[in-house]
Amino acid sequence: MNKEARLKATINQKLTETGERERLKELLRAKLTECGWKDQMKAQCKEVIKEKGLEHVTVEDLVVEITPKGRALVPDSVKKELLQRIRAFLTQHAS
Amino acid sequence: MSPAGCPHVNGFKVDNWKQNLRLIYQCFVWSGSAETRKRKAKSCICHMCGTHLNRLHSCLYCVFFACFAKKHIHEHAKSKRHNLAIDLLYGGIYCFMCQDYIYDKEMEQIAKEEQRKAWKMQGTATQNTTHDKPPSELNPNGIGEKYSTWEPTKKELELLRHNPKRRRITSNCTIGLRGLINLGNTCFMNCIVQALTHTPLLRDFFLSDRHKCEMQSNSCLVCEMSQLFQEFYSGHRSPHVPFRLLHLVWTHARHLAGYEQQDAHEFLIAALDVLHRHCKDDNGKKANNPNHCNCIIDQIFTGGLQSDVTCQVCHGVSTTIDPFWDISLDLPGSSTPFWPLSPGGEVSVLNGESHSTGATTLMDCLRRFTRPEHLGSSAKIKCSGCHSYQESTKQLTMKKLPIVACFHLKRFEHSAKLRRKITTYVSFPLELDMTPFMASSKESRMNGQYQQTVDPFNNDNKYSLFAVVNHQGTLESGHYTTFIRQHKDQWFKCDDAIITKASIKDVLDSEGYLLFYHKQFLEYE
Repeated sequence: MNKEARLKATINQKLTETGERERLKELLRAKLTECGWKDQMKAQCKEVIKEKGLEHVTVEDLVVEITPKGRALVPDSVKKELLQRIRAFLTQHAS
Repeated sequence: MSPAGCPHVNGFKVDNWKQNLRLIYQCFVWSGSAETRKRKAKSCICHMCGTHLNRLHSCLYCVFFACFAKKHIHEHAKSKRHNLAIDLLYGGIYCFMCQDYIYDKEMEQIAKEEQRKAWKMQGTATQNTTHDKPPSELNPNGIGEKYSTWEPTKKELELLRHNPKRRRITSNCTIGLRGLINLGNTCFMNCIVQALTHTPLLRDFFLSDRHKCEMQSNSCLVCEMSQLFQEFYSGHRSPHVPFRLLHLVWTHARHLAGYEQQDAHEFLIAALDVLHRHCKDDNGKKANNPNHCNCIIDQIFTGGLQSDVTCQVCHGVSTTIDPFWDISLDLPGSSTPFWPLSPGGEVSVLNGESHSTGATTLMDCLRRFTRPEHLGSSAKIKCSGCHSYQESTKQLTMKKLPIVACFHLKRFEHSAKLRRKITTYVSFPLELDMTPFMASSKESRMNGQYQQTVDPFNNDNKYSLFAVVNHQGTLESGHYTTFIRQHKDQWFKCDDAIITKASIKDVLDSEGYLLFYHKQFLEYE
C-alpha cells in the first residue's frame, strides 16, 4: 500500500474507532434527505426497475446504474459541510 | 430478487447460527461499543487487496473479509464454496448462488434488532469521547433513535382486529370541522382558532404528535393547541368549549384578558408569539438568534420583509430585512391617501387590470404597500455615503415569502381624532401570485425590464386562499366569523358554534379582514 492509501486507512480507522464515522453518516443521510437527493435517487431506482423488469432486476443492476448519478447529484453545500466536519475532527485528533 | 426467499440459506441455518450472525452484526457491521469499533477499524479490510472501501463483505462461513467491487469476495465464495456473505456497510446478505441480495425473514429480524441496539449504545458511548460539538440536527447525546417504518406488533394487530371501526377520509367528509362555543365576546379568538386548525402544515404537525413538551408547568400553549387539534379531528360534531385555551391566552397575553371584544388580528399575533416562544423550548437546541429559530411557527408563518432606503443625493441604498408574520395593508378611505400608488402617479398594468375604475383589489393594496415612498424633508435620514442628512425614498418588498401568508386589511382606524371602521370593499382572489412584489422582481425592474411577464413555470410565489376572517358591525360592537376551505373547493362558514356550508361566491363577496393564503407548491430549500 502506498503512502496515500496508508493515510486513508489510518483516518478511516480513527473515524471508526471514535464512532465519528457513524455520526457523519447520519448527518449526511439527513442532509441528503432534506435537499431532495434521496427522493431523486428513489425515482431513478424506479426507472431502472421499470426498465429491467421487477422479476429480473438485481441490486447490482441498481448499484451500477445509480452510483454515478448519485455521486454527481450531491449538492456542493453538502460536500462542503461534510468536509468541514471531517477537517474539524482531524484537527482535534491530530497525533 | 424473488420475494419467496432463498433456499440456500438453509445450509447456513444450523447449530448456533443465530448467535453467530448476531456476533457478526455486532462486531463488524453495526459496532456499538468502543471495543467493537476498535476491532472493526483494525480488522475490516479486504484480505486480498487491503482496502477498507469498495463494499467490504464478510463471508458468513469463515473469517474472511473481501471487497465486492474488485470481486475478491466472489473469488473466495467460488473457491471455498461459501455461498453467503454479508455487506459490512448495510448488513445485507448476499447469496452467490442466487447472485443477488436475499431477504430472509429471520435474518432480517436479527439485523433490525442488532442495528437498534448499536444505535442505542452509540448514544451513551459518545459521552465518553472528546467530541464536544455534536451536530445540531441530531440528538445531543449521540445519534438518537434509528428511524424504522412502523409495523404493527402482534398486540397492535389484535387491537385493530377487535376494533374494526375505521375512519375513512373521503373527498366529501367533514372531519376537522367543529364549532366553538362563545364564552363571552370570544369570537375574536374563535375565528383565529378556526383558521389555524385548518392550516394544513400546522394540522399535520400536531396530528403527528411532533410537539415534545419540556415545560414544567401546565401552561404550555403548544400543548393546548395539540389538544385542540385532537378535539377538532376527533369526529365529534358537538361544539367544543375552549375554556382552557382562553385561560392560557389570558395568562400569557394579559392585554387580551377580560370579557370585552378584542381585535382578532391582535389575537393572531399574540397567539403566534406565545406559540413561537413555547415552541423554542422543545427544540432540544436553543436558538442562538431569536429571529431565526426553526420552530413550526417560524417554518410556516415567518417571512422576510426587505426595506430599501435610497438616498436622493448619492443614490446609495441601505437595506434591512425584518421578519414578519403578517402584512398590514392600508385601505382607501382611511385618513392617509391611497391613490396615487406612487409619486408621479405611474399607471402600471399588472395581470391585465388597471386601477382607474372599479373596486379596490388586494393587488392594488399590495402595490401600494410596495411602492417607493418619498420620506419628505421633515424625515431626512443620515446617509452613510454622503455623511449628512438627506432626503430619501423608502421601498418595501418581499425578500422571503412564508408558507402561509396572512394579509391584514386595516379596517380599524385609531387616529387622534377618529375611531372608525373602514368598510370599503376590497376584492381578493382565490389564487394569488406574489412575484411582482418580490425583492428580486424589483431588482429586474430597476435593471430596465419594465414589463413583468408572469412566468407560468415558476411556481414559487403562487398562493391559494384557504381562510377568510370577517368582521361584521361597528368598532364598538361587532362579531367575527371565518370562512375556511376544506379539500380543494369546499368552503364552510364558522360562526362560533354554527358551521354552515358556503359557496365560493359567498367567500369572495365578503368584506374581508384577515386573508390567509397558503403556498401552492412546497419545495425543498
